[in-house]
Amino acid sequence: MAVTTDGSQISLLRRDRQLRPDWLLLISYAALSALGLLMIYTASAPRLEALGVSPTRELEQQAAFLLIGFMAFGVVSLIKLATIRPWVSAIYLGSIVTLVLVLSPLGSSVKGAQRWMQLGPIRFQPSEIAKLAVILALAALLAAAARPMRWDRVARAVALVALPAVLIFLQPDLGTMLTFGFIAGIMVFVAGATWRQMAALVVAGLIGTVALFQVGAIKEYQITRLTAFLDPVSDVLNTQYNQYQSQIAIGTGGLFGKGLFNGTQTNLRFVPEQSSDFIFTAVGEQLGFVGSLLVLVLFGVLIWRVLVSAANASDRFGQLVSTGVAALLAFHVFVNVGMTVRLMPVTGLPLPFMSSGGTVFVMMSVALGLAHSTWMRRPTLPIERSAAP
Amino acid sequence: MTSTWRLAGVGLVLAVMLGVLGLRLWTIQVTETDTYTAVAAQNLIRVVPTPAPRGDIFDRNGKLLAGTEASLAVVVDMGLVEDEFVEDLAQRLSAFLDQPAGDILERFDKANSGAQIILAEDLTEQQALTLLEHREDFPGVAVIPQPVREYPGGELAAQVLGYIGKPSEADLERPDVKGTDVVGKAGIERSYDDVLRGTEGVIKYQVDASRSVLQQLGEKQSTPGNNLILTIDSGIQGQLQESLEAGLGLARDLEMAERRKALESENGDIRTRLFLALEAKQLEAKRAAIEAAAAEASGEDVTATDEDSVDPDTVIEIDEGKVLGSLYPGLPIDNDGVCVPVQRVEVGVGSRTLLSGINERTMRLEAVVQDRSQRIAVVDIDGEQFEVEDGNSFATTLRVIAITDDAIVVSHSDKWCPVRAVGVVEDPTDGSIIAMASYPSFDPTSFVSGLTQAEWESLGTINAFTNFAIQGQYAPASTFKVVSYVLAMEEGIYPLDRPIDDRILGDENTTTTLPGDETGGEDGASEEEPEEEPAQPVPSDSELKPLTSDTDEYLCTGSLRFEFNDGSSQVYRDWKRNGHGPLDLHGALQASCDLYFWEISLRIWNERSDESGINNEDLWQEWARSFGFGTETGIDLPFEKPGLIPDRQWFREEQRKDTGRVRPTGPWVGGDLMNAVVGQGAVLVTPLQLGNGFSAMLNGGTLWRPRVVAEMVDQEGNVVDENPKSIIQTIDMEPGTVDALRRDFQQVVNGPIGTARSAFAGFGPQVWSVGGKTGTAEIIKAVEDVQEVDTAWFVGVTPVLSPEYVVTVVIERGGSGGKVAAPVARQVLQHIVNGEGAVTSLEAGEDMD
Repeated sequence: MAVTTDGSQISLLRRDRQLRPDWLLLISYAALSALGLLMIYTASAPRLEALGVSPTRELEQQAAFLLIGFMAFGVVSLIKLATIRPWVSAIYLGSIVTLVLVLSPLGSSVKGAQRWMQLGPIRFQPSEIAKLAVILALAALLAAAARPMRWDRVARAVALVALPAVLIFLQPDLGTMLTFGFIAGIMVFVAGATWRQMAALVVAGLIGTVALFQVGAIKEYQITRLTAFLDPVSDVLNTQYNQYQSQIAIGTGGLFGKGLFNGTQTNLRFVPEQSSDFIFTAVGEQLGFVGSLLVLVLFGVLIWRVLVSAANASDRFGQLVSTGVAALLAFHVFVNVGMTVRLMPVTGLPLPFMSSGGTVFVMMSVALGLAHSTWMRRPTLPIERSAAP
Repeated sequence: MTSTWRLAGVGLVLAVMLGVLGLRLWTIQVTETDTYTAVAAQNLIRVVPTPAPRGDIFDRNGKLLAGTEASLAVVVDMGLVEDEFVEDLAQRLSAFLDQPAGDILERFDKANSGAQIILAEDLTEQQALTLLEHREDFPGVAVIPQPVREYPGGELAAQVLGYIGKPSEADLERPDVKGTDVVGKAGIERSYDDVLRGTEGVIKYQVDASRSVLQQLGEKQSTPGNNLILTIDSGIQGQLQESLEAGLGLARDLEMAERRKALESENGDIRTRLFLALEAKQLEAKRAAIEAAAAEASGEDVTATDEDSVDPDTVIEIDEGKVLGSLYPGLPIDNDGVCVPVQRVEVGVGSRTLLSGINERTMRLEAVVQDRSQRIAVVDIDGEQFEVEDGNSFATTLRVIAITDDAIVVSHSDKWCPVRAVGVVEDPTDGSIIAMASYPSFDPTSFVSGLTQAEWESLGTINAFTNFAIQGQYAPASTFKVVSYVLAMEEGIYPLDRPIDDRILGDENTTTTLPGDETGGEDGASEEEPEEEPAQPVPSDSELKPLTSDTDEYLCTGSLRFEFNDGSSQVYRDWKRNGHGPLDLHGALQASCDLYFWEISLRIWNERSDESGINNEDLWQEWARSFGFGTETGIDLPFEKPGLIPDRQWFREEQRKDTGRVRPTGPWVGGDLMNAVVGQGAVLVTPLQLGNGFSAMLNGGTLWRPRVVAEMVDQEGNVVDENPKSIIQTIDMEPGTVDALRRDFQQVVNGPIGTARSAFAGFGPQVWSVGGKTGTAEIIKAVEDVQEVDTAWFVGVTPVLSPEYVVTVVIERGGSGGKVAAPVARQVLQHIVNGEGAVTSLEAGEDMD
């Protein structure tokens, strides 16, 4: 490698680079967060008003989460990934412990799923933390992989992901489990797995899924929820209802949308969970195709910048972390938006930076911060210049 | 880097994913937007929940105790009414429902845009049909059947059934309970709420852009709750309630008769009586004047009652009731001059009211002062001023229930007036509860339509909602002698054989050592009160031999004297002062001789550390607990109380926590055990526990878990679930003990010395088939200032030699068991044995323990 240049020169340049964050990434991040806040307000205000409480209640709550998230992003951006690396095992183990605890009576249940954990005044979802922990742990494991990757390392990677995935499956939270699979696949691929190894992973994943169905570990309602979207008229009144209403709402948005607070479907509460899982419906209905596309473009920019930071990372650990973060973001966006337009089944994965909820926002911000930290510490190499804007 | 192409590949995959989303959005939002807009216009869907009818409750013979009737209600869905049509609709509904249009509009205005308002209930079929036929004139209006709970039996088994109401905070924590639901709050309605409630259904309507209903899209039928079949027998339940009510009346009459007797003996001269009567007359006039003034000038000060307007020469008619009331001046009495245990009195600011009784006490509310969050009421009682807050007790008999801005509500109580009658009938062969009641009671239907604040408070002050059969804890008194009886028979522990020569029938002449604690006193013997100190052994007990069998006779002299080394002494007296004479164990139970059972406890106490003797301090407690005393029976009803079997450990714990229920210093002593064996002191049982414990003794040692629900059936009558009979534990009892106990119970009712003989005198020819045991708790309280009055008990059984019914009756503050409780149980037993027609009128029995 070309690191034989003058050492002092590099460090100077680095310091110089540290003062220059990735503005494109920052702008997309801020724009998505702000748009999310606005959408939450339009979706929640009429309902809160009807209940006789302050219409800005949900807005205020989410704004507070945004502040915490921004701070977390800032702090993580300034931390060198190398500083975090020795702690990865501890973070991973801690995350496993909370996943076990949440299944115990200490966890609290919302809508039949045991997903929440109360720690003093703070309530959070351990499965969200686990996503981050898995990315870090996988990156640490794969960073040391030989090229081409050896089979035993592939096996260790699978084991590393399988443990939290099984615990999350018990909650049950199918969406998060699938997220793990997707992230792991992308990361193992970037780390240098052979095509045969990739093929083996896909086959193993399929067999595992079928096995879960066969054993009956997946509950019937989960199967109906997963398959109902394939048949649009099968059951308009139950499983399908949410998605069907969401699709109609987005469809009525047209090219430019109905304008803020004019979304009859969203505002009249035909769409449930409108400020959390179905927030994109509010975008589609009120801001139309233009607004939807803007959101997709902003996510596109964000994911692109994260991948670029991976390409320019100074070490494999940072590169793999950024890759994982890109996969995480992309999968969430695809599954969530796909759900609202009935491309994907209902799985309960939130839309990053836009859906209401504290743990998700903070976790996503931390993930983005990790990628950003990698970017700010990239080495000055010719290759980087061509990739940078 | 080799991974660059891989990253590029990943980027491509992710880009394709976003691209797919973009294409899909383009299709939906641009290409097909017209379709979706059309669908949306047609696709406003309204979701209307349909409540599930609550399951019915039947007695063991299929008689309906709690049911659900459909009441047709007019429901307006504000989400379906267009703004410009609201006024018009209000006018039409006003004409149709005969309600002022203004009121309807006001309710519309107050409602949120999506709210559903119930405008009227109990629609006739005709009205409903009319409304449905003219549906187009009433957009957004629906006729929906609303289930309404009804209790056809009124007060029948009210506390067992419980009542329903709006969910509390705790109820809302349950997964399937919403704020608009109705849930069981007490009794079976509460403990079987999940079974009874069923699952709410839903109707989805498709409405068009103008919000009129196009069609019903789908309906998820509500699933009605399951029905319950109880073990209760309505006939016996009704008889029990009737008899309890009559019994309480009898107890009050007897109480008044006692007051009359006291009046005659102490203030018996005619002048006093006339004076009192005159006062009664004046009181009457005063009351009338106050009422007239209040009616004339409401709001005006009415203190200026003209006392001179009462002519002192008016012919005096002696109002006996008022005279009796005067014996305890200022206590509440009813119109018949009978005492009232507690009365709700409400006074507004500036007005006053008479607290009944002859030495008139008037209560006047001077003012209500707001002091931060507290309201303070300034009350004048006959010139004496009190400043009181919520919950305060004052002027001896009064207690504040509530203070509002301009009024005060107090409870006015008579602590000596018989307050409550409680009864349980159990099947000792399987623990089924055949009847269970507590009087005063309430009608659960009144909760359906809603109680007024005053009604709620009135019923609340007398605790009418509480099921005292499982929540009332009382000293079981002599009924508890059966525990020692069984213990004596099973363990072979009998009193010491005191030489006849040493004793003369009469007062205070049997002397023995005091049952003190271990010498050395681990609990600090030096601190003991003199009367609790270990005595110098009087040359007696250690040389005496115990009786050896249940048929050996013991001479009951009427009292036991304990001498202490400081020269003081204490005498334990039998309820029958002069004693019962020579008695064996069976006679002792039949005549309810205290001394015999005290002697058993003395043997346990004196030989508690004696390795060749009994060597078990808690022997009696162990026997008591084995029959289920001291713990909840586990009946399928909420809020059951555990009762209490005291022992040394409990005693220390109470002292440590300083609960005020025991002496502050000194150890647990033999006297405490002596109190306990005769069911007094700290012993507490619930009426259900007592009946259940008796059932276990009478059936040969099987302690059943009592139950009121037998099975759960669905709407078609198929049994979905059972509440099977279950055994808590089996106690090893000799058949001889069981047989002897049954025969002694028979003798209590039929034998020459039986304490319930007089109460059962009019029973009829089958009297030999019944038996029982009386009890009278003359509360001996550890803390002196707690004022208590006798609790009367009777536990009856039939057929006495192969028991199928155990009847437990308690009259709180009721006097002696033989006098009032036994006659009540007698009526219930007559009903059971010979049918309803055989029940004879209620008359007081002899005053027996």
